[in-house]
Amino acid sequence: MPNNQNSKPKRRSSKWLLLLIIAANILASWAIKPIMPYVQVPAENLAGPLRLPVMGDIYLTNTIVAILIADVLLFAFAFIVHRQLRSGDLVPHGLSGAIEAILEALYNLVSETAHKWAEWIFPWVASLVLVVLVVNWMELIPGVDSIGFLHEAHEGVPVYETQSLLQMGSFNLSTITAEIEPLGEEAHGIGFTPFVRVASTDLNFTIALAVTSVVMTQVLGVKAAGVSYFKKFFNFDGVMAVFSKTKEKKQFGPIFAFTDIFVGLLELISEFARIISFAFRLFGNIFAGSVLLFVMGSLVPVLVQSIFLFLELFVGLIQAIVFGMLTLVFMSMATISHEA
Amino acid sequence: MTPDVAEKLVTGIKYLSAAIAMLSAIGPGLAIGILSYAALQGISRNPEAGGQIQINMILAIAFAEAIAIYALVVAMLILFVG
Repeated sequence: MPNNQNSKPKRRSSKWLLLLIIAANILASWAIKPIMPYVQVPAENLAGPLRLPVMGDIYLTNTIVAILIADVLLFAFAFIVHRQLRSGDLVPHGLSGAIEAILEALYNLVSETAHKWAEWIFPWVASLVLVVLVVNWMELIPGVDSIGFLHEAHEGVPVYETQSLLQMGSFNLSTITAEIEPLGEEAHGIGFTPFVRVASTDLNFTIALAVTSVVMTQVLGVKAAGVSYFKKFFNFDGVMAVFSKTKEKKQFGPIFAFTDIFVGLLELISEFARIISFAFRLFGNIFAGSVLLFVMGSLVPVLVQSIFLFLELFVGLIQAIVFGMLTLVFMSMATISHEA
Repeated sequence: MTPDVAEKLVTGIKYLSAAIAMLSAIGPGLAIGILSYAALQGISRNPEAGGQIQINMILAIAFAEAIAIYALVVAMLILFVG
């Protein structure tokens, strides 16, 4: 007869806690209506410019804060796995076991696609997947895009009226209660800037990742095939065979030799189009998702945004995996020799 | 035409052009449908290759969806930036 005393204790308290949270949510959104945040494509600056001699002005934007937080998280994960490996225990437990499972799944994917070069390709693909995944999933954390600081509003930014919740000395915790209709060009008032904004909504981040991916693909191609890798783009072999007097077997005649040049140039252009495609796929998905969350959160403040948070969870995961998989596919295509 | 009316007209045309930009999402929708159809047929004929087919299907769907995302980015640029 099964021993019922070893079964899990009944967790009745979590049901009431959930109902309490939902009730508090409804009360809070009835008292203070959520405002649609201001959406702009460039990231907002938090701290003043750092003037560098050659590179110009560097601002601390709220997406840089998000990337720093993601970096700290990833280093913490790496440190946890390192400590568990150091301890000599062959069976991983807990968080390090989960991270090892993810990495093992990624390594299997990489080694299925790129058989010989998997060891070179894997760090790049895994880094891209993990960074993009952590950065995408930060949009689900409450506080990202919604907690920030109030400041003097400049041109074009909506102006809010605020209500102070907590005041300790010079520290003032306020919440935004309503949006004031713009009073024309002379509008002065209080504007809002979030502390942390999802890094994938910043085109700088996505273009940087895309350029890294495409450039390292070319590096891998040179590593696999030598400098003759660039013959894929500047394909003068057919033309040389036409003009040479040796009795080499000329495949398909001179017309196809001339079209080979244009095919090569088209490949070169498609490499640059790949940068744009990578960057805008990730940017568009995550930016659209965050705007969707803003709109849903401000239209129906209770419970509806949770459904869209599930959607964003899924979309963030898929976009991270797709970024990594496309990098993997293009890198393994670069290692395949062009000779048929 | 007074400047007030002109400004309202510009805003109206802005919204209309954003809507027209999103009409082009029909293409990726059809593309994803055709891809899923082919992938489901492949999986039903050969369930052992299901993993490989699934991976390639997700890859191809990401390519197709990127076009829809380009249209969405254009629409959002029209609405929110200029």
